[in-house]
Amino acid sequence: MENTTIFLCEDSLDGILTGVYDAWDSRLGHKNVRLETRAESNLELFCEYRDVERDLAKAEKVLNTVRKRMGEEGEEAVCYAAACTDRRKADAIYRIIVLGLHLKNGRDAVNCLQNEDVALVMKLRQKAWHEAHRMMGFVRFEELQNGILYSQIQPAYDVLSLMAPHFEDRYRQENWIIHDIRRRQMAIHRKEYPWVLADAEMLNPDYKKYYSDQEDEFQQLWKSFCKSIAIEERRNPRCQQSLLPLRFRSCMTEFIVDK
Amino acid sequence: MQVRVPENLTLMEKLNILSDAAKYDVACTSSGVNRSNTGRGIGNCIEAGICHSFSADGRCISLLKILFTNECIYNCRYCLNRVSNDVPRATFTPQEICDLVIGFYRRNYIEGLFLSSGILKNPNYTMELLYQTLFKLRTEYHFGGYIHVKAIPGADERLIERTGYLADRMSVNLELPTAEGLKTLAPNKSRKKILTPMRQVQMRMEENRNELTLYRNAPRFVPAGQSTQMIIGATPENDFQIVSVAEALYKKFELKRVFYSAFVRVNEDSLLPALPGGPPLLREHRLYQADWLLRFYGFEAKELLSEEKPNFNVLLDPKCDWALRHLELFPVEINRAEYGMLLRVPGIGVRSANRIAKARRMGTLDFADLKRMGVVLKRALYFITCKGRTMYPIKVEEDYITRNLLNVKERLPFELGQDITYRQLSLFDDMHLTKETG
Ligand code: SF4
Repeated sequence: MENTTIFLCEDSLDGILTGVYDAWDSRLGHKNVRLETRAESNLELFCEYRDVERDLAKAEKVLNTVRKRMGEEGEEAVCYAAACTDRRKADAIYRIIVLGLHLKNGRDAVNCLQNEDVALVMKLRQKAWHEAHRMMGFVRFEELQNGILYSQIQPAYDVLSLMAPHFEDRYRQENWIIHDIRRRQMAIHRKEYPWVLADAEMLNPDYKKYYSDQEDEFQQLWKSFCKSIAIEERRNPRCQQSLLPLRFRSCMTEFIVDK
Repeated sequence: MQVRVPENLTLMEKLNILSDAAKYDVACTSSGVNRSNTGRGIGNCIEAGICHSFSADGRCISLLKILFTNECIYNCRYCLNRVSNDVPRATFTPQEICDLVIGFYRRNYIEGLFLSSGILKNPNYTMELLYQTLFKLRTEYHFGGYIHVKAIPGADERLIERTGYLADRMSVNLELPTAEGLKTLAPNKSRKKILTPMRQVQMRMEENRNELTLYRNAPRFVPAGQSTQMIIGATPENDFQIVSVAEALYKKFELKRVFYSAFVRVNEDSLLPALPGGPPLLREHRLYQADWLLRFYGFEAKELLSEEKPNFNVLLDPKCDWALRHLELFPVEINRAEYGMLLRVPGIGVRSANRIAKARRMGTLDFADLKRMGVVLKRALYFITCKGRTMYPIKVEEDYITRNLLNVKERLPFELGQDITYRQLSLFDDMHLTKETG
């Protein structure tokens, strides 16, 4: 209990992975260290705090090791869990990696659900995966006059970089932007180039004045389709709401009432 | 009733008419195939499928679901588009459909297209139009998204085959569970006419699998498989008949999915049942549950129902119902039971069974672990032990367990009509018990 050293990391995948690197590298012993993200930490007495500065090279090293020793499933678990909001996530990620590197077959780490840290990481993985998967369906693009497809999202977790690769493949020949207005970040894709993450401050706030000529017609067609496809005799708004909670709807064309 | 062709419908009017006419088709899934962008156009497919929205009836919207035309020379009694109905008619052009699909797909409204059709002039003429639409989408627009298309019974074999090379999924609707039902309600169709293209698609898929093992780049035929649907409650078949038909379709025709559609009475017709309580949604739900048990849980139709007990229990899902009739097999020890037996425990789904099987190799499991793995203990606890012990002291006795399981409220995807109140539920409950134990 005494002499716990807390590694405070930035609340991002790279931040947490750097924390894993530093905590391991400190040689203080796994039971004497703890990882926390800055967003979630309450300062405690009798603990020593160390600030972890995000370092892409360290993060990359850790992720490569995870991939090699714990397989794709392990890598995915770590990446998705890091996207969630949970006070214990950084430490749980550290513990699952420690376990994975200790087991003879590191791929088994994700299966040890008897272990509370593993169970937590896997639960968070599931939550973030679900959110990312839903967002892949619920994202709505609007076509601007220059042909760029623009969309706004407000996901509960930081899933932008988990979903961007899907759209990179889907819309290879398109220029598009997905803008997370909650986290002020965006994924930008230029035709035939890899997508990149950028600060949303770069965006021209007047963009909405420049819709393409066809945009309104398609929005109307889609809204009308969504109405006519429902079967009146089976009407069931409660079921609809449990599958498509209200929080998503402010960014979805078919739920936005015309002005 | 002659065919009326109203002139100058706008694209919006056509879309309204032809999506409204397509809405009774259940299948909207975009699952079953993984394909990344070809590099020339737009689109890819994700094995699990993606839901893009949910309509007011709570059904997933994944595909642009439309008819090519709602003109039809046939007169199926249950169908809004039958030739004797006086409804507004419309027909798309292949170009219009391409515009809609690409416009919607670019905005991420949809995963792709679901294209069905009434019979315009004759089956071949109709099938040809569907083919041309798909051809345009795939070759002119290089559309790589998902396409589900109907094979029109009675159309030329080669036409269906060519269309299948452009589609991801094909389906022929069985319409009604038995040949007799079909005869009364769909006089222009016959069981044989429906099964012929189904068999043809199956054979072609098999040949294609062989081609693909030889040449990896051979064109793929209906890679996401074949599906069908039947209407439930328009004709008097019992659940046992329906589930047996589904089982045969899975086994003998290798279908990927069978869909069930609770009958909605859209036409005044003396041959159609009245259904004062609305579409039989609970029954449809039980059939879907049973369908999952057939496909993923290793059950057979005759284990779930029989001639003597031909319909599903209104109050208990088919798996609980089965388990209660087989208490001699329980409780099972979580740390040792075979995977197949884990799947048969109420409250354990495929996902949690997999987790258990993997985790117990790493160490013994207890009830707290099971809870974390997603096992519904409220249901499972009567059927399992961990390290030889049950969770609470329980009686392995049918009455006792039934009563307890009925207290665990089942989450139904819809609200039961007012016709089943709590009081009646408990009444049912007693009836059930006296019948089973008497
Ligand atoms: S063939 Fe029958 S079910 Fe199909 S559109 Fe025509 S009338 Fe309706």
